[in-house]
Amino acid sequence: MRKIEAIIQPHKLEDAKEALKNIGVDGMTITEVRGHGRQKGHTEVYRGMEYKVDLLPKVKLEMVVTDERADEVIRTLAAAARTGKIGDGKIFVYAVADAVRIRNDDRGESAL
Amino acid sequence: MKEVAVLPPPSPEEVRQTLAGRTAEVEERVRQAYAKTLEPLFLKDLALVAVGGFGRSELFPHSDVDLLLLAESDKHLPPRENIAAFLQGLWDSGLRPSHSVHSVADCCVEHEDNAEFTISLLDRRMLAGDAVLYRSLEDKFRQFQAKRGHSLAHKISGLAEGRRAKYQNTIYHLEPNVKETPGGLRDLQTTRWLLSLEPREGTPDLSAAFSLLSGVRLRLHELAGRDQNALSFDAQESISEHPAALMRDYYRQARVVDQAVRQAIEASTEKAGTLLGRFHEWRSRLSTAEFTVSHDRVLLRTHKPPQDLSLFEFVARHGLRIAPDTIDRLQGFTPETKWDDWKHMLSLPKASVGLRAMQEASVLPNALPEWRNIECLVVRDFYHRYTVDEHTLVAIGSLEAVTDGRFADLMSEIDDPWLLRFALLMHDIGKGSGRDHAVASLDIARAVMERLGAPETDREIIEFLVLRHLDLSSVMSSRDLYDGSTARALADRVGTLERLKQLTMLTYADISAVNPQAMTPWRMEQLWRVYLMAYEELTRELVTKRIHDAPGMPAEKASFLEGLPTRYLRTHTPEEIDAHFALAQQLASRPVAVEIHHERGFYKLTLLTKDRPALFASVAGAISSFGLNILKAEAFSNTSGMVVDTFTFADPHRTLDLNPPEVDRLRGVVRKVVEGRQDADKLLRGRPKPFLSSRLKIRPRVSFKDDASDGATLIEIVSEDRPGLLYDLANAISLAGCNIEVVMIDTEAHKALDVFYVTHQGHKLADDLQSELKSELLAACIGPR
Repeated sequence: MRKIEAIIQPHKLEDAKEALKNIGVDGMTITEVRGHGRQKGHTEVYRGMEYKVDLLPKVKLEMVVTDERADEVIRTLAAAARTGKIGDGKIFVYAVADAVRIRNDDRGESAL
Repeated sequence: MKEVAVLPPPSPEEVRQTLAGRTAEVEERVRQAYAKTLEPLFLKDLALVAVGGFGRSELFPHSDVDLLLLAESDKHLPPRENIAAFLQGLWDSGLRPSHSVHSVADCCVEHEDNAEFTISLLDRRMLAGDAVLYRSLEDKFRQFQAKRGHSLAHKISGLAEGRRAKYQNTIYHLEPNVKETPGGLRDLQTTRWLLSLEPREGTPDLSAAFSLLSGVRLRLHELAGRDQNALSFDAQESISEHPAALMRDYYRQARVVDQAVRQAIEASTEKAGTLLGRFHEWRSRLSTAEFTVSHDRVLLRTHKPPQDLSLFEFVARHGLRIAPDTIDRLQGFTPETKWDDWKHMLSLPKASVGLRAMQEASVLPNALPEWRNIECLVVRDFYHRYTVDEHTLVAIGSLEAVTDGRFADLMSEIDDPWLLRFALLMHDIGKGSGRDHAVASLDIARAVMERLGAPETDREIIEFLVLRHLDLSSVMSSRDLYDGSTARALADRVGTLERLKQLTMLTYADISAVNPQAMTPWRMEQLWRVYLMAYEELTRELVTKRIHDAPGMPAEKASFLEGLPTRYLRTHTPEEIDAHFALAQQLASRPVAVEIHHERGFYKLTLLTKDRPALFASVAGAISSFGLNILKAEAFSNTSGMVVDTFTFADPHRTLDLNPPEVDRLRGVVRKVVEGRQDADKLLRGRPKPFLSSRLKIRPRVSFKDDASDGATLIEIVSEDRPGLLYDLANAISLAGCNIEVVMIDTEAHKALDVFYVTHQGHKLADDLQSELKSELLAACIGPR
């Protein structure tokens, strides 16, 4: 099993969800997060007042899928969330040791 | 229709019987267990006492069974293993005993860290054991209560206030907890306790509320099979075929309890002699011929309330509440309101307090029958925590407590905040109609404004805000904020900076009122980015978006409009444009056309002429030389080099008001400075120097932007306003040899917000010129201090 964590632009959330739904991925956790990548934010001027924008709003999607599906999910996510500009975000993939469905103690892939 | 059978709340009689039956049944089991375990060992010096809900004989099916093992003294406490044997039997029979062991003396002192224990003793009842010992508790506790009753009442109130605050002090939760939420059973019990400790006249009748709340709680326990008191959406459906009707009943009763407990808490916390009490007495000085203020409550001096909204305006002005007696006298009261009544009340900084008082006294639905559409209306979704009416009032209130500096500034820059508040009052009023609620709300708002006689200009902004109230939220979540087309589309839809500010604050309030956690730093940042993006686009548009081939206009008028910023069309009514066009016709026979008129408490001067250097500064100087205070100004020019300047100014010394000929003289002076026959600088030199505080409240800021337009440099200035400021700024720009292309000036709350688009010999300003001009402008902001 793989855990896929994607940090994307907020306005791409609907597209990403839709694309994942189309390939049969329904379960995910979505969090509104703030952060910055390599560009480390920037300074903006509003009426002569400079202020640093170091934490930009982003959305984090997390889901766990089987090893076989991981690649397809990652490709789908990347395609759906891409605008081609700086700040499109990143996808991280982790190995998952186990999963438990709390309701009935299902373990491993059958708990997904 | 769901297939699961619903289980409606029981009748009052059933509630009484069920609670009494459950109590009797549990009592029997507890007595048996006691007889088997403790009684044979402790015939004397130990008594079993029911306390809390059990003591009141109001035991719910899955509530804890509160027990006190009363010992004669600390030396006579029964050993642990004996108590354990007693409790074990109860646990085994499926009860949830919650016990404590105390001596009589222990029961009759205050426990700083365990006030709940003392409170539970207020509902005590002997079950078994040493009757003599129990009588001594009765005697001593009565003495304790007589001595420390007030302090205990204070504690009860403090606990209640803390609990109520956790639920934002409102009864209107979509999924209330019937025990803990304000207006719930705990509040009802708190009222009973407080009244028993400090009896008052006019005890409210809470029996109907008790029956409904208890009935619902009984059903919740039955449904969940445990002590579960949250009236969730699912539970609402299980209890009633018409959940909305059930909830309206619930809120109606919760409101009775809420009012009762608030009065009881106030009575217990406010005693003469305390500092708070003295402050409240001091507030009684606010009393007027119509209203008396006593203990922060407003009482009517006349038998009937005034026919308009002046009572609520008074409440909103001072942030007070209305007294219970006033609420009684307002029963069935329907004020006759006009547009100006709403305007006056909603213009006050604590407008939401006035609206709350109207809601509390049931006057709001009488004054605004459309309000009934959303009263206690439950609209289910994942985010909203309150009923629609409560959401609306919370939203208006949230504008009075903006903590983020950026949004607080923005709020202070809004021209007519009452229009924003009225728009918020209307924004969800079409909910529950089954249609797109923004459109439904718009229809209702239109009808309301028609009835109240709102002028066209007010209607326009409110209609815009109501219809578009979801736009910024939708841009926040579904549009690429870095894509130029998003900014352009939004700027097109919003039209002007003024509207943008109103819509941004409306969105801020709307999100803040969804639930207490809804306005996260994430959302605040997103909303600010949307505002910023649209702000920059609208500022840029001042020079980049010009009228070209105005459609549907006669040729002469089209050529007058040709090249003026599109903002001109958005901020002027067709009548005003016609008047300007007529003024433009005068330019055929004279070099300058000037018109001055009085409008909504301000004067407005419109000037049309051929552009020339230092024109704008001269006119600003001429106006200031009359002691008039410029609030807003705009200078636009069309393709043929004709300028349209408008100045809105206040007349703080009533120079024009009291001396009508001065209006003519002002017109004459403006004409002369424009024609170069008089020097504005000289005119101003004759003016007495204004008194300026040595300390600036607003730090002046001057910024230059070259990328805002193709041909001009944008100068943005934020400064503390003062008489003559605009002249000094414009003059500094002219003296530096620069030409002012477009100007937009606004002042709010002593803060001047100026936007100048400037060129130097037809080009953008070079860097060295910028830095030179910057220091000149900063010096002008500070003024001759």
